[in-house]
Amino acid sequence: MSAVLQKSAKAEKGALKGAIRIEDVVKIYDPEGAAVMAVDHCSLDIPAGEICMIVGPSGCGKTTLLNAIAGFHSISSGKIFLDDELLCGPEKPMAQPGSDRIVVFQNGALFPWKSNLDNVAFGPLMQGKLGKKEIYDKARSMMADAGLSGTEHNFPGEVSSGLRRRVEIVRALMNEPKVLLFDEPYRALDSLTKSVMHEALLEIYYKNKVTIFFITHDLEEAIFLGHRLVIMSSRPCKPKKIIDVDIPHPRDYSVLTSTRYRQLMDETIELVHEEAKKAFSAGEKEG
Amino acid sequence: MDQNQTVALLKRSMPFQTVPSDMLDAIAKLARYESYARGDVIYHQGDFADDVYIVSSGTVQHTLGIGFQATHPEKILHSGDVFGWAAVLDNQRSRLAKTVCMERTELIRINGEELINLFRASPETGDIVMSRFATMINKEYTMPEEVAGHVPHFTQVPVTMATGLTLTMFRLSQWLKSPKPYLMFTGFGILLATWYFTVEVWKLPRFVDMPGLTVVMKEWFSKDPVYGLSIYTPEYYQHIWVSVRRILIAFFLATVLGVPLGLFLGWSKTFREYVFPVFETLRPIPILAWVPLAILMFQGSETPVIYLTFLASFYATALNTMLGVETIDESYSRAAACLGASKWQTFKEVIVPGAMPFMFTGLQISIGVAWFSLVAGEMVSGEFGLGYVINTSYTMVRYPTIVIGMITLGIVGYTSSALVRMAGDYMMQWRVRELALGGR
Amino acid sequence: MNAKRLRKALFNRSKLRAVIAIFVFLVLWEIGSRSKEWFGFAVPWIGHVPAPTAVVVAWYGLLGDPGYWQSWYMSTLRVLAGFFAAMVVGIPLGLFMAVNRTFNGLVFPSFEILRPIPPLAWVPASIIFWPSQELSIAFVTFLGAFFTIVINVLGGAKSIDPRYFQSAQSMGSSQWDVFRRVVLPATLPSIVVGSAVGMGITWEVVVAAEMISGGGGSGGSGGGLGFFIWNSYVGGSYEQIVVGMISIGIAGFISSELLRKLGSYLTPWLRKR
Repeated sequence: MSAVLQKSAKAEKGALKGAIRIEDVVKIYDPEGAAVMAVDHCSLDIPAGEICMIVGPSGCGKTTLLNAIAGFHSISSGKIFLDDELLCGPEKPMAQPGSDRIVVFQNGALFPWKSNLDNVAFGPLMQGKLGKKEIYDKARSMMADAGLSGTEHNFPGEVSSGLRRRVEIVRALMNEPKVLLFDEPYRALDSLTKSVMHEALLEIYYKNKVTIFFITHDLEEAIFLGHRLVIMSSRPCKPKKIIDVDIPHPRDYSVLTSTRYRQLMDETIELVHEEAKKAFSAGEKEG
Repeated sequence: MDQNQTVALLKRSMPFQTVPSDMLDAIAKLARYESYARGDVIYHQGDFADDVYIVSSGTVQHTLGIGFQATHPEKILHSGDVFGWAAVLDNQRSRLAKTVCMERTELIRINGEELINLFRASPETGDIVMSRFATMINKEYTMPEEVAGHVPHFTQVPVTMATGLTLTMFRLSQWLKSPKPYLMFTGFGILLATWYFTVEVWKLPRFVDMPGLTVVMKEWFSKDPVYGLSIYTPEYYQHIWVSVRRILIAFFLATVLGVPLGLFLGWSKTFREYVFPVFETLRPIPILAWVPLAILMFQGSETPVIYLTFLASFYATALNTMLGVETIDESYSRAAACLGASKWQTFKEVIVPGAMPFMFTGLQISIGVAWFSLVAGEMVSGEFGLGYVINTSYTMVRYPTIVIGMITLGIVGYTSSALVRMAGDYMMQWRVRELALGGR
Repeated sequence: MNAKRLRKALFNRSKLRAVIAIFVFLVLWEIGSRSKEWFGFAVPWIGHVPAPTAVVVAWYGLLGDPGYWQSWYMSTLRVLAGFFAAMVVGIPLGLFMAVNRTFNGLVFPSFEILRPIPPLAWVPASIIFWPSQELSIAFVTFLGAFFTIVINVLGGAKSIDPRYFQSAQSMGSSQWDVFRRVVLPATLPSIVVGSAVGMGITWEVVVAAEMISGGGGSGGSGGGLGFFIWNSYVGGSYEQIVVGMISIGIAGFISSELLRKLGSYLTPWLRKR
């Protein structure tokens, strides 16, 4: 997507925002003088409003990329843009974390000491943009929309893990982010709960059209959710192949039985398996 | 299963516990006995709800359906537990849960309709049973109150949820039926008997010099104590108060200084790198080795004792708070940063509550070591206080008073720890509830 | 690359900061202690503490003194005696309480009733009961470590994942095998933790017991570092108090370090993944 197009889109009110451009990013870890390359000259263009699935084996360096976008880690060289604004680059190796890019964490990061409602209201409260009453009204109505009524005053530890994930996504959406960054959020869920969560996520996506940068190692999940799959090579992390998922949205679980889905699965599984073997023999350590 | 066994089982269950026995007989006549094998499903969610069940033996897994807003949908049922309560709710005619036997299980079932008809004849009893049902549904099955409120009522008075006290009383009666209290009192009995017989009856060598059980008790509860200290003498309370006051001052100072220090030590790496080494260098020195130096540093007898007590508590509090900050998962601070929290907001909203569990562990240790070093301080220097009582009673050969001092120390120390624990539970509702649900 | 790594290890920032911090601490202490002679007024509290340089001088003088080393020896002996007695009694007791419910129900409440009484409160009763001073100090030391060890062993054994038992039984282990190959190793980390804490308490108790019984005027004590401190206080050689304090600190540090080493040797599966 060209910069001109983006700029004109930006000018138009209500148009999609949240295009990410990753240009030649390199990340080298140097903890004890021994340099380890985690991300190797990675370039990637994600248009606004796309669900982009980053697929690769555990510990291949996908999370490093996500952390760079979110502003948790610095990059060694290259540039990352959000809607043509520089997030991090040569002069500014580490992006500033902000509510335009919100991460949904692997093990969940709902504050266990706050009720679900307080968790959802947390972002706007911190930013101090709205009045307290407005924030809580909005939080209640958003929770109701996501089917979470009745759990407002429970602590996260009191509800099932599937519900917790849903609360976490609502907490992110409260801030009207441009991008949602998912770091293998459904990794710990069983496959049945996962399927429920996927449909719920798509439902939320259809209502809120944000850009989704979704890290996973689960191919089924990737094909079911994504517009595009970016298959990552392992150690260092670099896009190996980009696959367009030409199954039209909106999707539901009938997609899983379609022939196109099967074909895509067959196409990608070999690629991913190869990388998994490479990562496995390199010693599976979570990065 | 005969009539008597059924009545006994009913009496062990939460809703029917207080029902008069003629009524119980009538209820027992409605009951039918059934047995299931491991893996059998008793009913599925959505089945027609006809009967109420009581487990006689075995275990049943009870899973409430999604959408009924139970905060903890899963529950394992054992002997005496009641399920299938949808059969008595006046707005429900289908099962809310799926129940599966986890081993060979025997149970009785009572038709809900017939049960309710039976209670129409004696509405007062009926209301009590139903309000206990409501409490059980709300508290044990974690269903919202509005669901539990749909039990029928028979008098004009609307059903009120039985209070938490009912549940507590029920649990107490359950406890009394278990072997635990009897073993406990046997244990106490053995302990006291050993003391009594070795010292006062058999007069074993070495033991004979010790103050005996009856001597100590007589002295402790005497209006005119031989050695001047009993629950009737004001001096006794003066000593307790002096010790408690020292603990309060030291514990307060240790908390006020130790918690912020610990928070900052955990939060700021630079601060930790400068301050922690000094902290670590001083820490291996036992608190009690400070006694003479404390006497030199703080003239008088009161401040050194308080200082010693403070020092012990301070280390425990600061160290545990720091550990607490360090154990907070990084993703919490990151999430806060994502959501637009400033550094200070993150500290207030994430670091402080996140360190809370460890902090309270620290405070519990802190109050324990405070008593530990207070006693030492009072024994070596200081006037008044329980440690002083114990030590002077020894030098003045008032042996029974030593034991009175020890017992009193135990009681006061235990009470203070319990208070700290309660304060912690109160401030960390989220954690208590999480743990109560089985630590997921 | 190697030289770089070496430099990093030697001059990393946190070590440098630690050295600076401790140096500043010592300087402040020195200034505080000498404030009276240097500025004419004593800084409160620290003004009464002997200066670090004076302490070093006093310590140097003591290094050749056999009495000083005798104190080390006596205290260490008492700590070891009390500590090992607590291990020998406490570990089996804790394990048995965890395994046998009836025994636990019988003993645990009484145990919990005695536990809140601070170990030092037992000193006079212990002196009355035991025929020698030595035994009474050892008994109080024993008590200090005993409660901690039992509680840790009990907690550790009770929190063993029941799946371990199931898998052991499904592989055909006998009761004894389960105990020896599952319960014991699974409890080992808690035993290590309990002993480390217990060791710390032991040193605390030894020092106090020596001060109370030896320094308390009843005489006839066999020395020890606690007694050494108390004696220095009574004799007015204040530098030696600090020497004694530091000595106990070192002794406690060494013993807990040794224990940690031993613990990590015994539980190799807990070492870094």
